[in-house]
Amino acid sequence: MEEKKSTVIYFCDTLNGKTDVINIPEVKAYAEKLNGVAKVWLPADVSLNDPVQLSGKIKEKIYKKVIIAGNTPGMVKSVFSKAMVLDGNKPEDVFLASFYENGIYRNSDIERAKAVLSCAVYGINFENAANPEELPVNNDTLVIGGGIAGIQASLEIAASKNKVFLVEKTGTIGGHMAMFDKTFPTLDCAACILTPKMVEVGQHPHIKLMTYCEVQDVKGVPGNYTVKILKKARRMNLSTCIGCGICAEKCPVKTPSQFDSGTTLRKAAYIPFPQAVPNKYMIDESVCTYVANGKCGICVKVCPVPGCINLDEKDEMVEITVGNIIVATGFKAFDAGKIENFGYGKYPEVLTSLELERLINASGPTGGKIAKRTQDKKGNWVFNQEDAYTPKSVAVIHCIGSRDENYRKYCSKVCCMYSLKLAHLLKEKLPNSEIYEYYIDMRAFGKGYEEFYNRIAHEGVNIIRGRTAKVEKSGNDLIVRSEDIEGQKIIEQKTDMVVLAVGLEPGEDAAKIAAMLGINVDADGWFNELNYVSDPVNTFTGGVAIAGVCQGPKDIPDSVAQASAAASRVLQSIAKGKIKNSLKSITLKEIEDRSVELSKIMEVK
Amino acid sequence: MMQRVNPELKQELLKYGVKDWNECFHCGNCTAICPLTENGSLFPRKAIREAQMGIKYSLESNVDPWMCYYCGDCSKTCPRDANPGELMMSLRRYLTSAYDWTGLSKLFYKSKAFEILAIIGIALVVMVLYLLFTFYPSGDASQWIGADGGALINKMAPWKRIHLGDWLLAGVLAFILITNIFNMWYKIILRDKNLKVGLWDYFKAFMLLPVHFITQRRFAKCDDSRSYWYIHLFLMLSYIVLFTMIVFFLEFFQTDTVHPIWHPQRSLGYIATIGLFVGIIYFYFNRRKKNRENSKFSHYTDWTFLVLLFLTTLTGILLHFFRISGMPQLTYITYLVHLMVLVPMLTIEVPFSKWSHLAYRPFAIYFSKIKIAARAKQNKIS
Repeated sequence: MEEKKSTVIYFCDTLNGKTDVINIPEVKAYAEKLNGVAKVWLPADVSLNDPVQLSGKIKEKIYKKVIIAGNTPGMVKSVFSKAMVLDGNKPEDVFLASFYENGIYRNSDIERAKAVLSCAVYGINFENAANPEELPVNNDTLVIGGGIAGIQASLEIAASKNKVFLVEKTGTIGGHMAMFDKTFPTLDCAACILTPKMVEVGQHPHIKLMTYCEVQDVKGVPGNYTVKILKKARRMNLSTCIGCGICAEKCPVKTPSQFDSGTTLRKAAYIPFPQAVPNKYMIDESVCTYVANGKCGICVKVCPVPGCINLDEKDEMVEITVGNIIVATGFKAFDAGKIENFGYGKYPEVLTSLELERLINASGPTGGKIAKRTQDKKGNWVFNQEDAYTPKSVAVIHCIGSRDENYRKYCSKVCCMYSLKLAHLLKEKLPNSEIYEYYIDMRAFGKGYEEFYNRIAHEGVNIIRGRTAKVEKSGNDLIVRSEDIEGQKIIEQKTDMVVLAVGLEPGEDAAKIAAMLGINVDADGWFNELNYVSDPVNTFTGGVAIAGVCQGPKDIPDSVAQASAAASRVLQSIAKGKIKNSLKSITLKEIEDRSVELSKIMEVK
Repeated sequence: MMQRVNPELKQELLKYGVKDWNECFHCGNCTAICPLTENGSLFPRKAIREAQMGIKYSLESNVDPWMCYYCGDCSKTCPRDANPGELMMSLRRYLTSAYDWTGLSKLFYKSKAFEILAIIGIALVVMVLYLLFTFYPSGDASQWIGADGGALINKMAPWKRIHLGDWLLAGVLAFILITNIFNMWYKIILRDKNLKVGLWDYFKAFMLLPVHFITQRRFAKCDDSRSYWYIHLFLMLSYIVLFTMIVFFLEFFQTDTVHPIWHPQRSLGYIATIGLFVGIIYFYFNRRKKNRENSKFSHYTDWTFLVLLFLTTLTGILLHFFRISGMPQLTYITYLVHLMVLVPMLTIEVPFSKWSHLAYRPFAIYFSKIKIAARAKQNKIS
């Protein structure tokens, strides 16, 4: 059937000015060959300022159908709809081929871009045309990452009595949330929410908890993945360790504690934190002298359980088979030392928000007392309870590393709110001190958040609009220099302590995991979802779902919600007994053929 | 005061070298990082705001662009890559044309062709005048060559006549520049009806003018190594030396006898020439390599100034060389070429273009001080 050529495609402007985007000339050449396509316009070819002028252009060539292609084609749809109406056409005959919405970010996705475009030309929904075959499914699930998202997803799936393997890189589950003191906006105690869930995971009959393990390799098809997991040597027997802590007490090696954000020291034989799950000790092989040169071994001698500590234990590889995988690998905090102007790493009074989070926490290094950071004999900067003092003023600086073209361009979403929370906690501890918040824009984006902001403002926290440019030291004081935009003046604020509200970055392993699982990552390194709007959980690899911050910055409630959504996707396939193959298993040709077929059926109707 | 937004201002400003300021999200980083900004004179963010909104009135009466010496800290640390420093630079071009009542400045800044035509036109006029006056009244070129075959410049172009030309040109250019400064004064202070400035205020701050003209003290604060400031200062002082010698003491500067090298005429001239040359080469390589924030973007008028100054210096050196080595014909031709470069440069750059900063910079500091003091006094009263 040779259709009359009456379709025009317009590539919208939004693709310009970005690096590593779809190769437009290639897609254009492809589009010109599609059935019924008379003309392909680039932004330079037509002006979108005036619908009347545009309608003239459409009428002149008797185009009957317009397709707008690009990252966000909806932005220019209205002008085309108007132009079509002016020409006496139906406004519905403007179709969108949205690349961004279908997870097309980079030139490596160019085949899918073509597929989306061809579906739009035939007037078929992409989801209908790209319909992968169904495969049988293994009921076991792998969850990568033991933070709040991974914990939530595991519990949701395990509640249906299906087996879950929860793999966590560190020695305990809990993730970043375990480090926090309170959660915004309710000011609930973070540990009170998290630890019961952690314990439930540890005791759940359907969850196989694999801490201190790393996923090394994934092979197979959706519904039947073979996963190789590296079980790193804990050098202590998980089943016999009674958690008495004598080994840590006697261990002579000290090193900064990751859990306390490096603000205090722990031993080489250690438990990450007292509420860790599993509540068992382990050996830090990177600092243990026995591992390094075979000397010491004190822990073995003092351990009351014979044979519990085996300092010669080796890493081993475990293989499991699962049907679905949920990735919840989280984030890492931005390294504030990268920006020189704020003096992080230079002045001990400049803290990151995570460090303050530990300092202010009742279970933290100082028992919740605000202390000065001091240098110990070995040169580590640590908090000690003896150095407790009352800073007269504290400045919290927002957007460290976020919304900055020189570092991370995106908004990290949570910093405004956690900074307000920290201001509240500081005010609680230091009622007579002045707290200053320096912000660019106050992003109180969720339910109850604006109210939270108002509450903090009324508590007497000085909230100042203006990005701090630099922190300098003069005498014993830190000088914070900003423009007070609302007050129209320059502020040089003397303060005793500066808190840097660091943004979120993709974890160090994110790229490796993405490559292993075939997940796309966006320009910033976050994992890409299948559809930005309507499917924020699945990925282009069938049977692999994402949850939590690894998909993009989000707060705890959103992470939990997304984890539950990911679990529901997994349970859907388990309940059905079938799972759809990966979208990328279908070729462009198959999608084209199917859209032609479907368009014929539509015509018959 | 209510102000009207001018939506065409953006298109206008783009021609003065403004980059895309829409990037700016008004975080205030540029103002806070600036080593020169102070309360009462907050920049660059305020000027960006005025430019973004298209409030021409405020922008024209804004003295702040002149207070900035473009160290580039703001552009370097701008979280949006909005180049606030370059906006200030472009606004200085815009303000130069806004102060100029003749309207010629606008044409020079907006049209490369017009500027080049003007240079050629003025050069031709200079040529005609030169030929007319050197051959008048006798027209006998044979007496321009001395008995030893050397050049007798004062026979060809008697220093009195050249002085006459110098002063005429200086008078015209000074008139335009001074009236432009009056215009600047009107825009910055006089037309603000809420601002009450007494005569004493003007008097009190008066010393700022010579001090900042000579030392450019603010400029020195802009750069930790101060190398940029030293070189600019050396260039400027060199120019002042040569300018004084040529415009006021030509009898001493333009002699037919060749003095020994340690004679102040020659030694001073050499040092000043080195000053000019070092400065020109330094600024040229900065603009070529774009290694400093303030040399990343160059408007064509920046190049015009640099090229004309370079050619003036070069022809000056050649002129001297030909004269002392006894080559009369080449001396006279170079003399003509030297004037044909020098006069267009002065005519275009001093009152209408980049060089006008020699007056606008100190006056801006003066007006700004007066304005801040007057505002502070009013705030105290109210």
